[in-house]
Amino acid sequence: MKTVRIKKGWRFKIAGRPTDQQEIRLASQTVALVVDKLPFVKPLLLVKEGDSVNIGSSLFSDKKNPDIKFLSPGGGRVSAIHYGPRRVIEEIVISLDKSENQETFDAFTEKALDHTSRDSLIAGLMTRGMWPLIRQLPFRSIADPKSQPSAIWISLGSADPFQPLSQVYLKGQEEFFTFGVRALSRMSDRINICWYGDIPPGFDFLNESVTHRITGEYPATDPGVVLYHTKTTPAENQDWYINGQDVIGIGKCLKTGVYPVDRIVAFSDGTPENSRHLKTRTGIRLQDLAAGLSIGPDKQWIVGGILSGDATASDKYLDLNQTSIMIVDVSPQSEMFGFLRPGLHRLSRSRTLISTFSSALLPVNTDMHGEIRPCINCGYCASVCPVDILPQFTCKSLWADEIEEALAYGLLDCVECGLCSFVCPSKIELAECLKDARKHYHKELNQVA
Amino acid sequence: MRKRVETYLRGFFERNSRYFSHGGRLYPLASLFEAIETIFFTPAIAAGKAPYVRDGVDLKRFMSIVLLALVPPLIFGIYNTGYHSRLAIGSDLSFFSVVATGLKIVMPLIIVSYGVGFFWEALFSAIRKHPISEGFLVTGLLFPMTLPPTVPLWQVAVGISFGVVIGKEVFGGTGRNIFNPALTARAFLFFAYPARMSGDSVWVAVSGAASSAVSAVSGATPLSITTLAPGFKTFESQLHQSGFSLTNLFFGLYPGCVADSSALCCLIGALILIITGVASYRIILGGVAGLLVTSFGFGLISQAPLNPWININPLYHLLAGGFAFGIVYMATDPVSAPGTTASKWVYGFLIGLLTVMIRVINPAFPEGVMLAILFMNLFSPLFDVVEIRIRAGKRIPNV
Repeated sequence: MKTVRIKKGWRFKIAGRPTDQQEIRLASQTVALVVDKLPFVKPLLLVKEGDSVNIGSSLFSDKKNPDIKFLSPGGGRVSAIHYGPRRVIEEIVISLDKSENQETFDAFTEKALDHTSRDSLIAGLMTRGMWPLIRQLPFRSIADPKSQPSAIWISLGSADPFQPLSQVYLKGQEEFFTFGVRALSRMSDRINICWYGDIPPGFDFLNESVTHRITGEYPATDPGVVLYHTKTTPAENQDWYINGQDVIGIGKCLKTGVYPVDRIVAFSDGTPENSRHLKTRTGIRLQDLAAGLSIGPDKQWIVGGILSGDATASDKYLDLNQTSIMIVDVSPQSEMFGFLRPGLHRLSRSRTLISTFSSALLPVNTDMHGEIRPCINCGYCASVCPVDILPQFTCKSLWADEIEEALAYGLLDCVECGLCSFVCPSKIELAECLKDARKHYHKELNQVA
Repeated sequence: MRKRVETYLRGFFERNSRYFSHGGRLYPLASLFEAIETIFFTPAIAAGKAPYVRDGVDLKRFMSIVLLALVPPLIFGIYNTGYHSRLAIGSDLSFFSVVATGLKIVMPLIIVSYGVGFFWEALFSAIRKHPISEGFLVTGLLFPMTLPPTVPLWQVAVGISFGVVIGKEVFGGTGRNIFNPALTARAFLFFAYPARMSGDSVWVAVSGAASSAVSAVSGATPLSITTLAPGFKTFESQLHQSGFSLTNLFFGLYPGCVADSSALCCLIGALILIITGVASYRIILGGVAGLLVTSFGFGLISQAPLNPWININPLYHLLAGGFAFGIVYMATDPVSAPGTTASKWVYGFLIGLLTVMIRVINPAFPEGVMLAILFMNLFSPLFDVVEIRIRAGKRIPNV
């Protein structure tokens, strides 16, 4: 086991960390497959409104590779297909019926798995709807089934305390996890399993399989960060990666032959009482996760990590591979003489507020805490960037349309962690700039003439 | 009480904002209104893009910390200026009268600098329709602190105008300037009106009729003593005799620019800036190292000095003149300094090196830190380019 120490990053001092308690949340009436958040997917619909579907029925496939199927997270009737601007499919909503039927696929035994060819295993994962969970660096797109990665990275645990704990979702699922790893190892010669911190007692079965022990602060556990600090050749840039919980899903799907929809989500509303792990299902309506809590309308829902996540709302649904839901206050009223206050309760990574010198966890809101100003080259962004890309200079070259320059600085190593935008005292949208540039570059690379 | 003031102020800004909004009569002055409003109330703007949680620091706070770090040298400078003024005319040196005299001399400089500079800042913001930057609060205070206390007020106005307009706004405003605007302003005055910026008779301000009677008393600065007077064995003993012992240079009670004489106050300021992470310790330490190494090196190679400062305990170079002030407050301006880490060491080191070289080799300038910083400002983009190239070359390519 190799220890990878990530030096740059930031330890969240944000209140409301989910405890390791678990609660069950059931879907009330509808679930949905969120389509527009899937990276670089052009959906080709296979159902229409009113069709009845089972758990595991194909809802759509990817236009670029019609073998990649996206399956229904619920059984019932397709009650609505929501379109966004320019007829982009946002989500496919399914109203559940009482007896949710399940599609069944062929189950694999360990022996059968070892004797299946790589190609037929990949084809099997695509029909079973598990393929979209395997992602590929550097664009974080759904893995290209025709490519041969030099390694597959499995991340267990996260340096982000608002993501589920690996010991919570692994408990009782060891058998499926091992089966999933076995299946993945058919697709690449190297399987790198990363564990964050120390392996706790009770998970000894991992001692042999874990290859990298990660230490450091957010976003140390991001596969892109670990890869950046361990890679030796450019060929590794296109490695695949997958979340530990999805490995369990793959194992379960192959072993039992049903499409798994259960998922553990770390939920936080900023209070220690309500923040915990929720045992629920993919595609659940977000307000069902907060069942029993009174969440006011002036709240911002964030899915997928507090700094890297997207905005969402209580009437939206849980994305296919997301595992973290956070509810924070929207910005409060303006503060009188805010810049003169010592800032005892205001979160900051810089040392310009008193709160820096205490380790107390602080409440957060969505306020910018300042206005947009020109870059003064303070270097805060470069001092947190876990992959050393000097965000200020990279963004300046992007604003000047110097894409080659930005690529040389390491644009594609960016892990979209959001720390650069977070720390910027001039409130410049650095992360947005990098993310957009990466998206456009991917589009240009994959343009068909 | 506080609640009532707050409610009143909120109401005031709300009532008047319509004049400054789009289509209002005073729309061209919107940036001025906004600047004033945001001093009273931090604006509550929700983050519209990921990440949805943002750091509590903004440029206002960043610059406020610099202002806070400037308070010790400013207070000491006021006292020092008053002290020497009263010493020159032989009045009593009680604390309060010294401070009062100091305030009378220093405050007009600061007020003119802020007033005129703010006019230009507001004018450019109104025309360019961008918000007024807080960086000016630092520039407008730094500039008068580096002037001799006798400087005429109209020269302060001309200097700050040059600094803000040519030093900053013609490049596109805050964040795009090549040179430190406060130093640009000072350099302009230094070369345009040398008689008022250098020599032995500008460092002690005396008011009114008494001035002509005491011109003989007006003090020299330590760096302007450039010959070994007969009767002294060593230059150190001569400096000591003239009142420039190391201790006195450290505390700073000697004639000089308004606020740059005390190394102690600059050290306090440096600690504030480094602890809060506002200024780069790399630049400051690099500069100190460069100064000490260079002056030590000069001491080794020069046997028959032209200028006694060439062969002196390096600590004298560190404490005398404006080096401490320059390296702590001027060289660390992030906009005109390099942004990469190794470059900051090099940049600081070369400022120290150049300062000593100008001081001991060039007979025309007894002080060198201003020119050294401006010269290295010019080179900092180059340092950045070199370091970025080196760093990019070490990466495993990912395209």
